Amino acid sequence: MASKGTVSVEVSGLRREFKGKGSPVVALDGVSLKVGQGEIFGVLGPNGAGKTTMIRILSTLLLPTGGWAKVMGFDVEHEPEKVRRVINMASGAEKAGYDFISAKRNLWFFSQLYGIPSEIAEKRIMELSEMLGLTKYLDRKFYALSTGYRQRATIARAFVNEPKVVFLDEPTIGLDVMTARSIREFLQEQARQSGRTIILASHNMAEVEAICDRVAIIDKGKIIAAGTPDDLKRSLGAPALVMEVSPPQSGFEMLSTVAGVKGFTSSTEEERGLSTVQIVVETDAAARAAEDAVKKQGLKVVASWRKQATLEEVFVALVGRGFKEREEQDVV
Amino acid sequence: MSFSPWVRTMKARALVRLWSIFGEPLWIVVSMGFPVLSSLALSLLYYSIGATSYVGFAVLGGVMVSFWGNVLWSMASQFYWDKQEGLFEIYLTSPAPISAILIGMSVGGIIGTVPSALIVTGIGWVLFHPAVNAAWGGVILTFGLTLASLYAMGMTLSSLYLAYGREAESLNEVLQEPVSMLSGLYFPSIGSRSPFPLAIQAAASLIPLTIGMDALRKTLFYGNDIGQVWPDLAILAVMAVVLLFLSTYTLKYLENVGRRDGTIAVRIR
Repeated sequence: MASKGTVSVEVSGLRREFKGKGSPVVALDGVSLKVGQGEIFGVLGPNGAGKTTMIRILSTLLLPTGGWAKVMGFDVEHEPEKVRRVINMASGAEKAGYDFISAKRNLWFFSQLYGIPSEIAEKRIMELSEMLGLTKYLDRKFYALSTGYRQRATIARAFVNEPKVVFLDEPTIGLDVMTARSIREFLQEQARQSGRTIILASHNMAEVEAICDRVAIIDKGKIIAAGTPDDLKRSLGAPALVMEVSPPQSGFEMLSTVAGVKGFTSSTEEERGLSTVQIVVETDAAARAAEDAVKKQGLKVVASWRKQATLEEVFVALVGRGFKEREEQDVV
Repeated sequence: MSFSPWVRTMKARALVRLWSIFGEPLWIVVSMGFPVLSSLALSLLYYSIGATSYVGFAVLGGVMVSFWGNVLWSMASQFYWDKQEGLFEIYLTSPAPISAILIGMSVGGIIGTVPSALIVTGIGWVLFHPAVNAAWGGVILTFGLTLASLYAMGMTLSSLYLAYGREAESLNEVLQEPVSMLSGLYFPSIGSRSPFPLAIQAAASLIPLTIGMDALRKTLFYGNDIGQVWPDLAILAVMAVVLLFLSTYTLKYLENVGRRDGTIAVRIR
């Protein structure tokens, strides 16, 4: 998959296997992509799809077992020192700070790992903190920061060296809506105004849809679709069908046999006594056929409506199931 | 990487350690407790049985046990904790030289432990007036080389602990007392005054602290000058250099293994 303009990240046939109990586990299986300068590129997939593995390879924490990857023209396998000078990374799951020193001193410390003179580092820390709404909390010890402010500090850390490419792994996981939104706005600003390339691994479809210029949907280590969010959604054809069905059901396998149904995902709300099914269909006729198939099983369709496609429907159309079902399949 | 970023990284890591230590006053008190009490207990014991010439050994032991505790709990375990917290990944994905981080941790640890060492010395001096017959040039050089080799050992352990999981803390527990005893923190463990057989003395001599303690006693209490303790000083210097190189080599090796096997970034929770 190609990008416009200067290429910041280039990956070709990237493969990574891990030792398994029996046969090797393939975490990445021949991934190829190009990401341009100033682009926010989303890597979207369920847990275990290979997103974090790809981020770890690109940020030099893991070696590929096949293929190659370059960041700003430097090979991640053979030139890790050069790659490390132009990148930074952050994960939503990390704590990433020394508890008994302030957020400001933590940020200063991390800036020193890049050899940044103190006065420049302090100016950057203040600017980043201002942008992220962290200024008031800079003097608080790291352990005293709330999850949201700790994550803002983590994001500030990832930009303190003015990296050309930033890798973010689930950066807003577990955050409240307002904090997540302010981090997303910050990321967009960094890409648009400073021309930084941001590679964002996430299973939060709304987040990816909201800020990414392009998206690669990854499943079982392979890129199964890539493009702009709008292009991907347009590829679906008809709006998705949503049905609320009573009594609650654990499976809707009858839908698999309906012509024109590309896939579906379902969830159950015990309190309301019903299941909600989202069905990706090729045509309006297929939507009607799907509703009939459910009714034929003796189930009551309490409500049904059509909705604009999201990236979740794109994934469902490609894989036949949603993220949640895909993760459950892997566990089984 | 030029010299300047190396110094910046080293200085920053040292400051993080100092801010962490002095930012929590209770921590200072707690870290002083064990050296002060153990030194007092042994000084009283030696004093009560009339072994007054050994009281100075107990005070010196209290000073050095502060540094040994710091090496074990704040140096050796540090990368293991950093790995658990996700901080080690940040080090690895930055251009910072790992040797600067290790030496910064050591410098911060040494400076941060000085107050504890001074308080043990002060209390011991005021209460027991240990007899000192010092060759100060030799004392200072021996003390410096002992710390250098001791912290270099901490750096090597820190690298090795990366390969461990939850065992790291248990390993510290296992190491603390035997090394304290074998290295002769409170009594001579090598040489003519040692209670140990030769084989144990030989094994104990592999620990930098053993050589350092022996040389410190010679220079501080028996007036030996540099010319008389030069073999000890040479061994300490060699140990410091070898362990320093071993620690950076081990870290590089473990990083490569970790990148290959996917273990370096695995957090243990």
